[in-house]
Amino acid sequence: MSTTTGAVYDRGYRPYDGPRGGRRAAMVALYRTSLRRAIGLRRPWRQKVAPAALLAIAVVPAVVNVGIGYLTRGTPAEGFEFITYREYLGVSSALLLFVALVAPDIVCPDRRQRVLPLIFARPLTGRDYGLAKVGAIFTCVFAFSFLPQVVLYVGQMLVSDGALDYLSDHTAVLWQVPLAAALLALFYAVLGVALASLTGRRMVAGASLLGITLVSSAISGILIEADAGPNEEIRTGHPAGLLNILATPLRLRDLVFLGRIEETSPLSGVTGAGAMSIAVYVVVVGLCAAVILSRYRTAE
Amino acid sequence: MASIVTARGLTKRYPGVTALDGVDLDLPSGRVGLVGANGAGKTTLFRILLGLSQPDAGTVEVCGVNVAEDPIGARNQIGYMPEHDCLPLDQTAADVVSTFGELGGLPVRAARQRASEVLDLVGLDEARFRPVAGFSTGMRQRTKLAQAIVADPALVLLDEPTAGLDPSGREEMLALVDRLGSFGIAVVLATHLLDDVARVCDHVVMLDAGTLVTDAPTEVLLHQTGRVTVDVGPLDAARLHAALAARGLAVADDGVGALEVTVAGDGDLDTIRDVVAELNLPLHKLTNRLTSLDDVFSRRA
Repeated sequence: MSTTTGAVYDRGYRPYDGPRGGRRAAMVALYRTSLRRAIGLRRPWRQKVAPAALLAIAVVPAVVNVGIGYLTRGTPAEGFEFITYREYLGVSSALLLFVALVAPDIVCPDRRQRVLPLIFARPLTGRDYGLAKVGAIFTCVFAFSFLPQVVLYVGQMLVSDGALDYLSDHTAVLWQVPLAAALLALFYAVLGVALASLTGRRMVAGASLLGITLVSSAISGILIEADAGPNEEIRTGHPAGLLNILATPLRLRDLVFLGRIEETSPLSGVTGAGAMSIAVYVVVVGLCAAVILSRYRTAE
Repeated sequence: MASIVTARGLTKRYPGVTALDGVDLDLPSGRVGLVGANGAGKTTLFRILLGLSQPDAGTVEVCGVNVAEDPIGARNQIGYMPEHDCLPLDQTAADVVSTFGELGGLPVRAARQRASEVLDLVGLDEARFRPVAGFSTGMRQRTKLAQAIVADPALVLLDEPTAGLDPSGREEMLALVDRLGSFGIAVVLATHLLDDVARVCDHVVMLDAGTLVTDAPTEVLLHQTGRVTVDVGPLDAARLHAALAARGLAVADDGVGALEVTVAGDGDLDTIRDVVAELNLPLHKLTNRLTSLDDVFSRRA
């Protein structure tokens, strides 16, 4: 190499001899990047609107409930609950819409823009890739369903007569809420990533997620209606309720909160409905995990 | 010199095609050109080196790491620049390169700092906060090179880095590849342009239909041609042609304004130099004539 021009040419390149992570570090990096992308960080403002608005909307019921609690202090209406912790998690099923937007957005472009071979040329495996992507979606959905609950809990505690009394009266939700939120988040995350892994097109992936959940819900509804007599008011005791993928995480929520399937559910009264609901959940999650693993076993 | 890549009996078959057929390699640390026509097995070899594809037979070691036993360990040492488009389009070059730095094991802060250094190095200092989607082919190739070297690998695999570049872009890319060697990074440059290899590589490996044709230092290959291209510009070519012929050298027009001279040794090269000096001509180029892969293939056949 020429020595006279070396001073200019070698500007900038220094060998790196600092600490270096391995496979785990690569997976965490991919998780962090995906999470950032999902919530719109380092992206144009258009991409930040949806997650921010969604979080704001998700917090509204908590604020309303706490507000009512504050206004009705010392009145006969005191103790009225606009929404319960269990019902509030049902609101979180609207996060499916968020998953339908975001899961394809952090998964499909990697395939479509052929970034996958580049990612897999780094020290990580297909399993790590799937874990990082599912983890990113899981974190978003969990945070978006858990944070509003925290607002509700802290708010209720502050407007109640005695914060300590409220705390001791509501210890069960301290494990019920995070567990149910985690079950919901895991279900949506694996389903979203699995469907997104099958295609390079974001629209197709998002539409198929909404399609599969809504169609399964519709089919289940139709089967139940078909069997019900014309004058029956309550449609319960029908196993076709199991087909409803949309309601699967909510039935797990009921098991967590109530220890049984809720009375108004079509599955209420079906023998072993709780165990079968868990089985459906496990099968769907397992199937989705298998799809993800097989799609990323090798790059391209 | 220690081998950076060692392969023994490397064989890879796809249905109907043998991509690699019992290839033995000892690639020295430095700049190695991997030459072959499309489909000769270059990309297959890269995929095997990265542990992304399993050979049907044979073993391969990268930087002393057995790829079959420890693909992650091998990938830890390697930077890879694929031939095809592979960049996330809606991210800035700085984000892309630092992300791949992190994926290569660098801590966040180090990755960001090195990303900016490396982008500076490849000449994208001012464009690094623009989305890749708005980049020209040349800028994308530079970004791809930057992400390959950001984690300071021991070896970079470059798959057709000059593909799609205009002449000046190609020159700059080759200059960058040339400099990688001086940074202590071993380079394997896959290309079908022997000219690129002649410019920057110390060693040439040639594959044809999955078999090893040549594995030799570049100098050895170039010496075997026995012909050089002399370019003094089209206006003066005729004068030089006559003067060289008068000194007893076999001269021919190469069809694009330069002369092709058959040389027997260093003495003939001195003669060319002296004649050009005597006529006071501007010497644009004096190179070994080795422009197409066909030449070498036909010589070997």
